[in-house]
Amino acid sequence: MALTGRTALLAALGAVAVLFAPRPGFAVAGIALLLAALVVVDLLLAGSVRALRFVRDGERLVRLGRSAEIGLIVENPGPRRVRGVLRDAWPPSAGATPRRVRFAVPSGERRRLTTTLTPTRRGDREAVVVTVRSLGPLGLAGRQGTHRVPWSIRVLPPFLSRKHLPGRLARLRELDGNHPALVRGQGTEFDSLREYVVGDDVRSIDWRATARRSDVVVRTWRPERDRRVLIVLDTGRTSAGRVGAAPIPLAGEPAAGDGRSGGPRAGHDGPPAAAAGRPEAGWPRLDWSMDAALLLAALASRAGDRVDFLAYDRKVRASLSGASRTELLSSLVNVMAPIEAELVESDGAGMVSTVLARAGRRCLVVLLTDLNPASLEEGLLPVLPQLSSRHLVLVAAVADPRVAAMASGRGTAERVYDAAAAERLRGERRRITALLRGHGVEVVDALPEDIAPALADAYLALKAAGRL
Amino acid sequence: MSTRTSDSRPATGGPTPPEAEETASPPETGTAVVKTGRWRRLRGIMLVGIIVVAAAVVPLLLSPSGDTGGRYADPADTSLVGTRALAEVLADHGVAVERVDDVSAAVAAADSDSLLVVTEASEVSEADARRLAASPADRLIVGRAPHLGILAAGVTPRNRATRARSREPECGLRAAVLAGSAHLGGLSFTGPAGSTGCYPAEGRPTLVRYVLDGRTVTVAGDGGFMTNLRLAEDGNAALALNLAGAKRRLVWLVAPDLDDRSDAGETGGSDATEARSLGDLVPDGIGWAVLQLVIAVAVAAVWRGRRLGPVVVERLPVIVRASETVEGRGRLYRARRARDRATLALRAAAADRIVPRLGLPPAAAPDEVAAAVAVRTGEDLNHVRTTLYGPAPTDDAGLVALAEHLDRLERQVRDS
Repeated sequence: MALTGRTALLAALGAVAVLFAPRPGFAVAGIALLLAALVVVDLLLAGSVRALRFVRDGERLVRLGRSAEIGLIVENPGPRRVRGVLRDAWPPSAGATPRRVRFAVPSGERRRLTTTLTPTRRGDREAVVVTVRSLGPLGLAGRQGTHRVPWSIRVLPPFLSRKHLPGRLARLRELDGNHPALVRGQGTEFDSLREYVVGDDVRSIDWRATARRSDVVVRTWRPERDRRVLIVLDTGRTSAGRVGAAPIPLAGEPAAGDGRSGGPRAGHDGPPAAAAGRPEAGWPRLDWSMDAALLLAALASRAGDRVDFLAYDRKVRASLSGASRTELLSSLVNVMAPIEAELVESDGAGMVSTVLARAGRRCLVVLLTDLNPASLEEGLLPVLPQLSSRHLVLVAAVADPRVAAMASGRGTAERVYDAAAAERLRGERRRITALLRGHGVEVVDALPEDIAPALADAYLALKAAGRL
Repeated sequence: MSTRTSDSRPATGGPTPPEAEETASPPETGTAVVKTGRWRRLRGIMLVGIIVVAAAVVPLLLSPSGDTGGRYADPADTSLVGTRALAEVLADHGVAVERVDDVSAAVAAADSDSLLVVTEASEVSEADARRLAASPADRLIVGRAPHLGILAAGVTPRNRATRARSREPECGLRAAVLAGSAHLGGLSFTGPAGSTGCYPAEGRPTLVRYVLDGRTVTVAGDGGFMTNLRLAEDGNAALALNLAGAKRRLVWLVAPDLDDRSDAGETGGSDATEARSLGDLVPDGIGWAVLQLVIAVAVAAVWRGRRLGPVVVERLPVIVRASETVEGRGRLYRARRARDRATLALRAAAADRIVPRLGLPPAAAPDEVAAAVAVRTGEDLNHVRTTLYGPAPTDDAGLVALAEHLDRLERQVRDS
């Protein structure tokens, strides 16, 4: 049962009547009885809520930053018209609008209501409940009931670095087809035989083929295809730190201009108010790393390599292997969507042994983590030789632009102390980078906006050098 | 508008009832939506305005009219029921008018050469009446004064009041005869033997004068002729002057002021009119109306308190900036004034950037680096060595200066 503002207004107007009534005591009792009677009549005449039937339809997948529409069909099999308010409750970070809808369904009919979701966070969002308040004909009171109408929508990573893909694919084509390498090297394979033209390296002349034919024939080579790329995403505590400026506001950010200002702020299920006035928290390293991993996967699958994926902190959080080229990207975003950074220290030894168990043949292991001296020295560095001896290892890390900004701070003692602290961190990162390179590991350390193209370029460089 | 309600027709496929459009208008009729919205908003404001105006006006209309708030027969009151005009005229004729609101003061002020006026507005208890009656002053009693039997012993009022109107003296009393017709009525009396009765109404006089124990006592049935309203009519003024101006001093006993009503209690005011607290002034219905308002507030609480469905909870990711550890380290340096460590970090960073540009191996000796930098930039060797490898500065200003020096060296190496 629920009352409305009208009931309260009637009760308040009753005070005026009581003021001028000859027998005020009786007037108070009379008004109370009258109101109670009207409320009971209204409740009896209101359409039944319990009998309503609900069916959902709509989208199951949405990219972060986009909106999805979820339909809710309300069917009223009862004898009376149901008129009132409906709330389709979703978790706050699903960004569901409108929060409450006025609706009316005559007896025996159906209506379709639409809820627009604009999620502010990756992952799976489950519909919570549908609550209906059916008001009586007088609008004084209503019946209220809650139905469970399950639906879930998966919010995928946005893959913002998609814009870098065409340029990188063009360079890949240059390496691949149009400029076959004439020199044989590690990671190249035999491509074809063709006639010698002036300028070709005489060392690449295939004498046996030349002997069979009247012409001089040379062998050409091309970068090896069907290499394996294993992308390992570190989901430990260092990946939770937020860096850069969020291209899409995530849940918990002070949402600026998210188009929600027009709706009534009902207080409940709104986004939790973040401490305003602080510098923007940005995106977690994990999300930047995912973006880079998606670009690399798209590029590598076009280059004919097989891409596997593993997310690991102290155990396997998600993995993908053996996906076909056509559906690699969609499977990858699907696998990535629910991954969250865990606030635990990553287990470097466990990660290396898992990688070794999964990668039988030599492959390129791309480790997306942070060059955090403490966690790397304790966890990964001691076991890295096991990995780098069998595979080609590339470590990609997201640098923090704020540290760079702090390092250039001058003028006051305060800023110089901050600059010293930032320089110290950068010094440690350089030291770790040098250590890793000493182990034969490739290192990519780039700012958040540059990490995806930088990683793609590093991959292309390895490919061109035939080191895969 | 993101709210949209579209029809999903039932399987039977009947025509869509018009109620379908009730929940939200389609966007095509944008102006209609705006107008309705404005009207809806204005409607609420206008309703509130009307209620406020009604609340202000209705009690005013319903309150009993005619009460102009004046004090009846008070020589200081200028309203229609007051007698200020009479007091002024008396003062012009050399009569000292003393206005008292206290029986004790009246008794003290009244001597044999004064006239004591008691009206029906005066508050006099039985004991007070006896004290007044014992005073040597003459008395003028106007209207239905309390304890008439004591103040004017021997005069018996008739129970039925007569209408006050202009009447003829019809007697031999000089004051009345000189004044002529006057506005009198109210009580009519039966005077004692030897009294003079004038202005008869229904056969009995409404003005009686007689002598009691050497004092002249005059009783008038109604005080209307003395008021500011009637003083200028007929012979009212003359009659009032003749009656009230007989002695050189006039002591006028008036009702106590409302403001010091609490003081009136101890001087023996009338019990019936005394105990009027704030609660008595408030109408009886207020308490019940407040109770009704409390009920209304309770209903409103139920209305607002009932939420539409449960609170939705969600597990949110932690929000921590990656740079927080660096900021914390910077604050620690600052708090401990760790100039040595800060200097070390700044110099190491500068050296890491300078040394590769000079073409030196990363593990080059300090003297080698300093010499190379001095040669490249043309700076003084000692200065360069102090900047790059000297002792840590002793104060914060020195640290800031060192940072600037390092920057300059680095810039010079880069640009040279």
